[in-house]
Amino acid sequence: MNDQIEPADAARALSEIGWRREQVIRRAAIPGWYWWATAVLTIALSAAVESGRGALPWIGIAFFTAGSLVISGLVSRALRGAAPRRDLAPGSVPRLLAGMAAFLAAVLGVALATGLSLKAAGVPYPGTIASAVAMVVFAAGGQMLMRYHTAFLVRRSGGRG
Amino acid sequence: MITPRFDELIHAPTRLSLVAFLAATGWADFAVLRDSVGLSDSALSKQLTTLEDAGYAEIRKAFVGKRPRTSARLTADGRTAFDRHVLALQEIVAGAAGRWPSPAGHPSSRSAASDGEPAPGGVSP
Repeated sequence: MNDQIEPADAARALSEIGWRREQVIRRAAIPGWYWWATAVLTIALSAAVESGRGALPWIGIAFFTAGSLVISGLVSRALRGAAPRRDLAPGSVPRLLAGMAAFLAAVLGVALATGLSLKAAGVPYPGTIASAVAMVVFAAGGQMLMRYHTAFLVRRSGGRG
Repeated sequence: MITPRFDELIHAPTRLSLVAFLAATGWADFAVLRDSVGLSDSALSKQLTTLEDAGYAEIRKAFVGKRPRTSARLTADGRTAFDRHVLALQEIVAGAAGRWPSPAGHPSSRSAASDGEPAPGGVSP
């Protein structure tokens, strides 16, 4: 122990360390715009494919692929700038992956249930409407999931959260 | 086993912020460090050089296309020094909490440990 350091100073230093750890975790979270951008691309793809007019489905697929690559590139570039260490929140990866898998399964379930119901009811463009509904769930839920994941990682890492 | 050791070099406020940020990452881009810790280019360069001279940080310069890209990370020695410094800080706080009843709101009484969580700034195993 260093007798020249006041306990309050040590506590402030520990708080600062916790804050910096939290900062690294928060900046690695998938940003809110990612969810909405992915949602827009997916809805556009659904509409293009469902229209079935000429080359529109292929244009939709190309647009979706290019857009997804750009979005993923931007997110991963930001993450590479200062990626959190794997051992920052020990044992958290299985839980985060399970949470993400459950969320994607729920979005898929919403899309299928809505699409099949609309098709059975004879509503036009059931795939596009179902996609729009599911993507609203995806975008809103994805941001909530990220907030939960981030808070969980901060707690697990011993940060201030 | 890591033993506590207060480290004057790390404890300086700006370097503490920088080392704490680096301790949570692998390689970190110069621009990210500058913006995250809130330093000017020259101030960050100076701090990184000090850490590099002490053997605590490693600096890498690479080119992405034609643009230079500088990154930094803690060395194994730097990481060990940081972990030991954190333990020393925790000892100081714990020692003070042991000497006097901890008033509500004091950091050491905000017992993360009582919630089953490691203390703030705790060293991950």
